[in-house]
Amino acid sequence: MTQLSEVPYWITLANLPKWGTEKINRLVVKIVHDNRMALEAFFQSEDEWKDKFSLSDAEISDLQNAKSELPNHAFLAEDMLSQGFEVVPINSPEYSKTLKANLKLKAPTLLYVKGNKQILQENSIAIVGSRDADEISLQFADHVAQKASQQYKVVVSGFAKGVDKQALDSAILHKGQSIIVLPQGIMTFGSGIKRYYKEITHGDVLVVSTFHPKAAWSAGLAMARNPIIYALASEIFVAQSSESGGTWAGVIDGFRKGRTIFVRKPNPDENNANLLLIAKGAKAVDFEGNIIEDANVAENTEKPVEAAEKNGMDEVLSLLEKQILTPKQILEKLSLGMTDKELAKKLKALPNIQTIKKSNKIHYFIKQDSPTLFAME
Amino acid sequence: MTRQQAEQKLESTFGFRQFHDNQWTVIDKLLQGKRVLLIEKTGFGKSLCYQFPATQFEGVTIVFSPLIALMRDQVQKMQELGVPANFISSQHTEQENDQTIHDALNGKLKILYIHPARMENVKWLETVRDRDFKIAMVVVDEAHCISTWGHDFIPSYRKIITLVNLLPLNFPVLATTATATQRVEDDIATQIGKNIVSIRGNLLRANLNLFVITVQSEDEKMVWLAQNLEKIQGAGVIYTGTRVNTEIYAKWFEYLKIRAVHYNASIDTETKKEIEQGLMKNEYKCVVSTNALGMGIDKPDIRFVVHTQIPVSPIHYYQEIGRAGRDGKPSFIILFYNPNQDKTLPLSFIEGGRPETKKYQKVIDTVKSERLGLHGIVKATNLKKNQVNVILADLIAQGIVVETIEGNRKKYEFKFGAPELDTQSFETLRKAKLNEFDEMLNYWETRDCRMKFLCDFLGDVLPSNCGLCDNCRKRKVQVEATKECNDKLADFLENYFPILEVEKKNTNLADGVAASYYGVSNVGKALHRSKYEKGGDFPDWLLRMTLKAFHSHFGKEKFDVVLYVPPTESGDLVKNFAEKIAKALDFKLSHNLKKSRTTSSQKIIQSGILKKDNLKDAFALEDPNEIDGKSVLLIDDIFDSGATVKEIGKYLSKLGATKIAPLIIAKTVGGDL
Repeated sequence: MTQLSEVPYWITLANLPKWGTEKINRLVVKIVHDNRMALEAFFQSEDEWKDKFSLSDAEISDLQNAKSELPNHAFLAEDMLSQGFEVVPINSPEYSKTLKANLKLKAPTLLYVKGNKQILQENSIAIVGSRDADEISLQFADHVAQKASQQYKVVVSGFAKGVDKQALDSAILHKGQSIIVLPQGIMTFGSGIKRYYKEITHGDVLVVSTFHPKAAWSAGLAMARNPIIYALASEIFVAQSSESGGTWAGVIDGFRKGRTIFVRKPNPDENNANLLLIAKGAKAVDFEGNIIEDANVAENTEKPVEAAEKNGMDEVLSLLEKQILTPKQILEKLSLGMTDKELAKKLKALPNIQTIKKSNKIHYFIKQDSPTLFAME
Repeated sequence: MTRQQAEQKLESTFGFRQFHDNQWTVIDKLLQGKRVLLIEKTGFGKSLCYQFPATQFEGVTIVFSPLIALMRDQVQKMQELGVPANFISSQHTEQENDQTIHDALNGKLKILYIHPARMENVKWLETVRDRDFKIAMVVVDEAHCISTWGHDFIPSYRKIITLVNLLPLNFPVLATTATATQRVEDDIATQIGKNIVSIRGNLLRANLNLFVITVQSEDEKMVWLAQNLEKIQGAGVIYTGTRVNTEIYAKWFEYLKIRAVHYNASIDTETKKEIEQGLMKNEYKCVVSTNALGMGIDKPDIRFVVHTQIPVSPIHYYQEIGRAGRDGKPSFIILFYNPNQDKTLPLSFIEGGRPETKKYQKVIDTVKSERLGLHGIVKATNLKKNQVNVILADLIAQGIVVETIEGNRKKYEFKFGAPELDTQSFETLRKAKLNEFDEMLNYWETRDCRMKFLCDFLGDVLPSNCGLCDNCRKRKVQVEATKECNDKLADFLENYFPILEVEKKNTNLADGVAASYYGVSNVGKALHRSKYEKGGDFPDWLLRMTLKAFHSHFGKEKFDVVLYVPPTESGDLVKNFAEKIAKALDFKLSHNLKKSRTTSSQKIIQSGILKKDNLKDAFALEDPNEIDGKSVLLIDDIFDSGATVKEIGKYLSKLGATKIAPLIIAKTVGGDL
């Protein structure tokens, strides 16, 4: 358990404006790992910030501003803790090891939770798919969730309509355990806590949020939550994906991070991008979630042209991992059969693509994952 | 800032030339961002210890205080000095509170007073979290309320403790109290933590004259007061042990033509306010009250405090008598003690302070299966609301249940992974309370200086005796009854009948009268014998008493019909009694009021909410036209929560009864509706 008096400091650090998770985590590593300090002691040692922590004047000024908010965060923390919410900082043994291993320095600095924290330590799977998935995909989610529950694996759900909800409800129905990953602050989830009250108090559901406890739902937060779902799960099952949107983007991102992803092999009459994902390297699974060794995808692929186009996007991505380029520059290197405007649009739809303005032109790049500075178990 | 610099600023803002040494010690520490626990007697000037630094800090100082009247008073004083201060409370309108919060957010306030219960108010919390809301210091007034070892622990203070623990190091926090034993001091220091410094002044109140009067009966207390109360200068407070006694003593003074009024928790807020204001303006010789009065009275010239019932501990006692003589002028403190019977009440408080363990388990099980509010838990468990409140406070303290806020409603949740209920701590507390009561009895028995006894108990070493108490003066006060006074008292008691106040809204109900209180005299015993020990009809002396009560309240008033409340389980007792009443008064009796469905005995239903449900639409008159345009005298044996009379009154009003007045044998005390 995190010491009570540390909580407002964690909230303050985790919500440092404009710093970004990675930068915050680097500081956290310096404080709690390199210097073995409590945050309270760190905030008391302002005179050492420059030398011991090599912080710039601008960073020191940011931290001083944050420090003045500590009393306000004390009020927030009291409200939160007294209502039965807890926090799990990234250095806590209670923090999900899967999440840390998958995201490394990009792992959320602070998890806000309610329920059985032990769930964070169990083997976990995520079953993902469209909000408007077909009946067959929902049935698949149900089967896989049931199987996971029987094998004492935790089902990670993003609490979205469709596959997410189906996976959660099936896990609950089959007496399994689940994590609800919120697209909002944990203190704004009253209706959900009311709805899953029994499961929470019986230790079958853990509610997790990585955002400011009072943050309202937004599309941006929902997007930002998706990588957390993937990263909290040891295994990822795709029930149904179209060629764009959160599921697709998440899987592509997963590929780049070297994760194994299981995709339901669709029936011939289905109209979705599952086969495409299998073609790109996902493992095909049957309706029960079992791996199909010889998926024989190529023959069944109905849209080879688009597949090639998608492969083209992969080439773009590997290009961007090394360089910062404008769409025009990309098109000079690769013939993709699209205009630079079309390419820009496609790039913007991808996760983890960052932009930078150079000589008045928007350049695109992918920021490399940094090596971990954490002592990983 | 040096003391000299501070004192210059003190003079320009507050008009004082200098601080007392202890005041400066505290202020100096606060200015350095330290945490201080200050234990000083009433009148020391504790408020200045935070008011001055508040004017020096950038931002708002938040003061938690449970005393609304005191907050109001302080705010007014600050405003007069030109220090922007305000307070938010349930006595303000929402708009007024919003404005105050808004002012604080915009830096227009230096001091913001808040009742601890406000920590449950969502709106103000939303604002105080805002990064623009600059908080300079937190003050916890009446800090002994955070300790369960203290004499009046307030559950909402728990949130304050958590808050203070969460506040950063080098953030100034001041906790103040006028009463804290070493144990409470240690407890506060541990709970507030973070290197808190305790500063303790001496607690001697040099203007209080302490007396103890040993009596052999309640009558002797009433006689002594009748003979002596008017001899004491000024106005004061008389504390009784029960609500019933506040009424009886106040009526006795009225009978003696002494201006008195009774005050207790069952009195409505408006009336309470009037009484408080009346006391401030010396409109009464005395206010007779339970311990409900006090938290919130800031009258400097209370000249006497009398206890007709011994309190449960010397801390309670010191706190309650501390309300006398805040102006420093001589004041009289009198404790009555009847060794034959006065132990019963404090012991029952201590022994009955906590519900049985199985009731705790019932609440835990209920909350485990469903997320409920207080009402919901009361209904689901059929426990008394007060008990559920006590149980919930303990369960929250032990981390078994959490209180969540949904909109403006509280919902209780079971906490996953909660520890088992720890009843050992209850037992430890019970033993500690018994020890404290023993100390209170020692106060009665002691032959040494009484002020020294109290100060010693509170951990303050008094170098010399007070020289003012009965022991120091070697003047034992005794009751000297005269026949005249005894006769008066007998006359009063024989003609004193409790009024039954009923809710008149939307009905034609009228106040009625009871022959006696259930627990006073032997009326309760007689009723019990007839009802539950096959003792036959209610005895004739009860009939005579009830008739006397009727005449004293209603005079020669005629009623068209006598109805009686149909019984649940006690057979024809009430029916037979009503027959005799109707015959004696020569009113028409009707047997037609019946139960339209079976109800449970109200007695076995614990919660007021369920009592109401149990009776809803439960009565019917066989001939609905029978009472149209008529006045009704309604007979029953016991008047408890009043729910039965209210339900029948509502029903009969609908049928056209012009007046429905209850005539009851005994009124109980302390129903929870």
